[in-house]
Parts: sequence; structure tokens; C-alpha cells
Amino acid sequence: MNAVTKHIIRFILLWLLQVLIFNQLEFGFGIHMMVYPLFIMLLPFDIGILSLLLFAFLLGFSIDIFSNTYGLHTSSLLMMAYFRPIIFNFFAPRDGYDPLKQASINDMGGSWFLFSYGNLLLIHHFWFFLIEIFRMNEFLLILQNTFFSVIISFILAVVLQTLMIKKVIPK
Amino acid sequence: MRNLFAFFRRFRVFLLFALLQVFSLTIYINYLSFPRNQYLTTASVLTGEFLKLENDLTKHFNLSKNNLALQKENIRLRNKLKMSLYKLEEGFIKVNDTIFQQQYTYIPATVINLTVSKRNNYFTLNIGRKQGVYRGLGVFSDKGVVGVIHNTSEHYSVVKSVLTKDINIDVTIEPIGLFGLLKWSGRDARRGSISGISNDLRIKKGSKVVTKGGSGIFPRGLAVGVVEKINPIEGEPLWDVVVKFSENFRTIQRVYVVKNLMIEEQKNIEENIPDDEEE
Repeated sequence: MNAVTKHIIRFILLWLLQVLIFNQLEFGFGIHMMVYPLFIMLLPFDIGILSLLLFAFLLGFSIDIFSNTYGLHTSSLLMMAYFRPIIFNFFAPRDGYDPLKQASINDMGGSWFLFSYGNLLLIHHFWFFLIEIFRMNEFLLILQNTFFSVIISFILAVVLQTLMIKKVIPK
Repeated sequence: MRNLFAFFRRFRVFLLFALLQVFSLTIYINYLSFPRNQYLTTASVLTGEFLKLENDLTKHFNLSKNNLALQKENIRLRNKLKMSLYKLEEGFIKVNDTIFQQQYTYIPATVINLTVSKRNNYFTLNIGRKQGVYRGLGVFSDKGVVGVIHNTSEHYSVVKSVLTKDINIDVTIEPIGLFGLLKWSGRDARRGSISGISNDLRIKKGSKVVTKGGSGIFPRGLAVGVVEKINPIEGEPLWDVVVKFSENFRTIQRVYVVKNLMIEEQKNIEENIPDDEEE
């Protein structure tokens, strides 16, 4: 499969999952399950940051339209896209990233994925709840929501990758 | 000039980021204060159709429970019918009802999309301007108050629900008749609070909370919930009254939009109240 079609299919799939399923589920404790940041994470390593921002805007906006949040998801996804190169640089392997690989848990290993995607999710969720709640005297609520949601969203991302992305074993 | 271009080139990433960020935050803040942006919400035609399709698939999950609720309401209304009342006094003939004039009319609707876990929760209804819905009408279900219409399109409308930051519906605590404003803290979809209740009065747990009907959006006496807990607020002579909503918003489907036929009259006469003069 062509790399571009793969990303387009992933875009649509994650969008549908988020809008149709995960926006409707509710667990209490302020947990919001978000799968769509995975799309930004799994874009190629050598993608330019300008196109990264534009993709983030597109995906965030299409999710906002269907969940009555008017720019909330867009804003936090932009935040995540902006920090992606910075986080990736910080956790870079000694001899740089292999452009043939993906930023997935299968290609890069569990601990790398935990640190980079975990941090990006933390930025994304913290910004999301900060803007949504927007009151300093409810700061504890922001932290609580962020904490629980990051854990659930991260587990969800790992499960989705092990379910959906077939591991190609080089011969 | 060359320096300017060099500047733009150097900071182009940050500039694009800032531009998009400002754009999305502007939409968000604008929408919270007044709904101008009609095309980007679930009240617009495209997303409305999509959500209607989704609702058509999922509405049957709660069908038996909803039927039961509707049946209960039917029984309650049937009890009020003339044919189920015993006539105590013979000889009264009703000619033309000049005592009771219709003040509120109701439009039935279905909730096709909702959230309850966000800080501000909006519900989407399947009726819109074609059915005569406009901004500011009240919405309630057979169990209690739901919210106020926030935005409408041709066939859909968005309700600002009780589960939002600044909903401020005026309510009263029933047997003593205390007035207060209904608020929501964003933590629990089953509980809200009433502000502005002074602490020199005793409130019993389990007292009914109903709408006051002062602003003319809701008729007086619609159920909101019951008083669950009363906490003192430190440093202020006020109670923080915790209300348990009688409606479970997670499973809400059938609602009514209420239209006050005399709201213009009330607004007109209230306009003549002289403002407090500053000295």
C-alpha cells in the first residue's frame, strides 16, 4: 500500500473512531478518551513542521465540527504538533531517526513510545482541559482530568496499534 | 525590507503556529459568548444529517425505558383530564374561558447528540427554525429542566444545557420559596448547586427545587431536582446548596421546547423599570 493512502485511511479511521465512538463514551472522573492524536504521532519522521501544523489543523477542525467544541480540539492538536519535533529531538536515538521507520510502538520500541507519545499526550490534554475549564481556582480539576485522561488515551493508543497495524517482518 | 523577509523566514513555523492557534481560540471564545458561527456546529445541515443517522441507529437501545417514561407521563396527564375528575358541583356551565389564557406552548423534540462530561455541555435537537424554534426558548423533559436554546438552523438546534458554566436558571426551593440561581461545577453530571441562598434560613434535605419562572423562559414549578446537601461557604453568609438533578442527562432522549406567548409583554413592561441612578 502506498504511504500516502495509508495516512489518508488512518486519518479517516481515527476521525470516525473519535467522533462516532469515543466522543459518546463516558467514564466519569473527567476522563476524555482521545485517539486522534495518534495520527499526528504516526506521520513520517521527515515531514516538515509546516505541513505537520496544517494536518493538525485539518484533523482538529473536522473533529471540532462534529463534537460541538468549536476550536478546542484544533487548538490542542496544534499545540501537540508544534511540540512534536522538540520532543522527538529530545528522545532521539544516538544515530538519528531512520526515515523508513514509523513513530509507532512496533518500530521504535515500548520505552521510546512511552516517553515521546506520553509527553505529547500530556501537552495535548493539559492544554485541552486548561482552555476548556479556564479557571484558576479549578486548577486541581484540570490536573485530575489531565492525569486520568492521559493514562486512558495512552492505553487506547497502544491497544489500537497492536490491533490495527500489522507488523511487517523484513525477510 | 530584506530584514523583514528574513525575519518572516526565520520565524515562519512559529508564525503559522500562532496564526492557526489564534484562529481556533477565537472561534472557541466567540462561540462561548455568542453563536455567530453557524456553519461549524452540529446545528448545521451536514453534521446534523450525520448525527440524525447515528441517532436512528442508536435510539432503539433505550426504547423500552423511554416508552415506560412516556407512559408514566401519559398517566399523569390523563389524571388531569376532565373525564377522570369527579364533578362535585352540578350546575356550572363553562362558556368561554376568560380566566385561563394559554401562556405556554410546547414543541416535542428528540435529542440527537449530547455530551455530559465536558465543562460546557451542548445537546443537539432534531427541530429548528422551521418548527418555530429560536434562541432563548426553554427546554425540559418529563423529569426536569434541560436547558435553553443556544443556536438554531433550518432543521436543527443546539441547547445550552444545565451542565454548562453560566447557565443561571432562576429556581426556588419549594416549601420556603427561596430564590437562587442554578449553577454547575463541572464535576458531576447528576448534581448542580444553587447560589445566593442566605444562611439565616434552614433548608431541609430533600426539599424540591423547581423553576421560578421569573425570566419568562420556563413556566413556574417545573421540576429541577431535590436538595441533597447544604454546605456553609466560608466567610460569606450564604449556603452552598447541592441539588441532585431529577433528570439523568446521560440517557435523555425526548424533550419539550417551551415557548412563552407573553414574553414580549413581560419584557416591554419590565423595560419601563427606572434604572438605579448613580450618585
